[in-house]
Amino acid sequence: MRNDPIKYFFIWPALFVVLAISIFPLIYSLTTSFMSFRLVPPSPPRFNGLDNYVSLLTNPRFWHVTVTTSIIAFTSVAIQYVIGFAVALALHAKVPGEKLFRVGFLLPMLIAPVAVALIARQIFNPTQGPLNQFMTFLGFPNLPFLTETHWAIGALITVEVWQWTPFIILMLLAGLATLPDDVYEAASLENASPWRQFWDITFPMMLPISAAVVFIRLIESYKIIDTVFVLTGGGPGISTETLTLFAYQEGFKKFNLGYTSALSFLFLIVITVIGVVYLAILKPYLAKHR
Amino acid sequence: MSTRTLKGAPRYFALLGILFWAAFTLFPLYWVIVTSFKTSISVVGQATFIPFVDFDPSLQAWSELLSGERGEFFNNVIASTIIGLSSAVLATAIGAMAAYALVRFPFKVKLASGIVFFVIACGGYLLGANVFGFSRAISMIIAFAIALVLSLVTNRLRVPGPILGNEDIIFWFVSQRMFPPIVAAFALFLMYSEMGRLGFKLIDTYFGMVLAYIAFSLPIVVWLMRDFFAALPLEVEEAAMVDNVPSWRIFTGIVLPMSVPGLVATFMITLAFVWNEFLFALFLTNAKWQTLPILVAGQNSQRGDEWWSISAAALVAIVPMMVMAALLSRLMRSGLLIGAIK
Repeated sequence: MRNDPIKYFFIWPALFVVLAISIFPLIYSLTTSFMSFRLVPPSPPRFNGLDNYVSLLTNPRFWHVTVTTSIIAFTSVAIQYVIGFAVALALHAKVPGEKLFRVGFLLPMLIAPVAVALIARQIFNPTQGPLNQFMTFLGFPNLPFLTETHWAIGALITVEVWQWTPFIILMLLAGLATLPDDVYEAASLENASPWRQFWDITFPMMLPISAAVVFIRLIESYKIIDTVFVLTGGGPGISTETLTLFAYQEGFKKFNLGYTSALSFLFLIVITVIGVVYLAILKPYLAKHR
Repeated sequence: MSTRTLKGAPRYFALLGILFWAAFTLFPLYWVIVTSFKTSISVVGQATFIPFVDFDPSLQAWSELLSGERGEFFNNVIASTIIGLSSAVLATAIGAMAAYALVRFPFKVKLASGIVFFVIACGGYLLGANVFGFSRAISMIIAFAIALVLSLVTNRLRVPGPILGNEDIIFWFVSQRMFPPIVAAFALFLMYSEMGRLGFKLIDTYFGMVLAYIAFSLPIVVWLMRDFFAALPLEVEEAAMVDNVPSWRIFTGIVLPMSVPGLVATFMITLAFVWNEFLFALFLTNAKWQTLPILVAGQNSQRGDEWWSISAAALVAIVPMMVMAALLSRLMRSGLLIGAIK
């Protein structure tokens, strides 16, 4: 660590951009959230205290949307983690053709979610899509993948799993590469079965990175909008509407600025609560395995 | 050979699982590529899979798309490319500078000065807009400037309270990424519209978009580059310091050349993030600077069943990132990103 006034020159551009473009709008929107303020029909800003927050918290739609978003986020991250761990283990164990798979498996997460949703829309199409043709071939009836609530949520989760499992594979592979070999050598000398080796060595040692990866994915999943926007548009009805989409509808279709600002801050609170609870639950386990 | 390498039957079970996953991963990509060569006859009815066998491939979708007879298209590609490249370059440059400063120089920020910034910015804006009767944009600018100056002054004064060090500043930078982007996107939309009323147009402009993307890429850039700089050996820099080489020369002449792989990887990750970004583009553009994801999302409502042209448009958004994925995975194989991921 050395000291040199030039450090301010290095850090200020970044600091200034973040303060001006990222923090300051938050302050502006925080003040707006305590006002009644509409663009259509125009009504000037008027302070109304916590009214926006109260009316949101008593709006069943807000709770419905929060539950839908949570279902999508938790289910898809759980599936992603299980599949991602399995694939990472297999790749790490050098299955034949492992190098080729490593490249191919990365592709989905680099594709724009809107493009992914457009492809998914074709595949899930009830009459002309390949999935339903396959299902009919197996003897199932044509299924309404995008127009019936449970199937639509399932479709969204599938798309999320398709797109983001690669991220988990990538991170866990990096984690597996750092595990020391000698522990495994000792374990095989003791004739520990691969199953025992996984639960007693690999899994505990991978816990810190697993916790981090799941945390990142969970937070990111709560932000989901692109896929929903294209795939179901929140429908049927509002049954697949997520928090971000709800905020977009309120803010950009109804131009209810105060209400939308309050909504986005409630969203921020939801995310923070989930993050804090998550870290609190995991803390004892993480400390134990340090 | 590591002891963890599978042998015998389990190896083939693992391979079977992997092949299954590969089919799941690759089928949609295969589907979009073949569909872009279909015509209406091969889409209506039942799904078709194999060109020449199932259906007659045709270049119709591509020629329509590239000749521009299906509306604006090049405009979006150009907008996406310009915005993506410039925000990725600038974010990587600014973020790398900040990350380097945070790794090598000690910083002390008093918590009090952060609170001062928040309170003055909030209160100053409200006072200016509601009591003194300035326009909202003017009061925002004034409040921001005063808050910034006062918080800097507070940092110099002897005020009690906790002092934040480098780790806390980095955490603050990275935690920006946790914010749901809708909070920032909507707030930014409001702020940009206020600025527009002042005569300084930011919505649907190059400047406004690039500024927004730089701000929201910085957390990732600082996070990745911090790990990268921290892993560089200190000795070279120390040797240069003994020779009295100024710090900025050490940074541009020694540190940056050593970090080229990290800078390239960070640049590519940022570019992918900006290229695929949807929400900010949805809020902050409406015509001229609309990026590809907005065009692609619009395909859906505009032409529901014309899968061939939808697929072609989606591929234009996908292919550049596939090329990047190939480049990135070559970098990864050289073990470059392992350090950055930890």
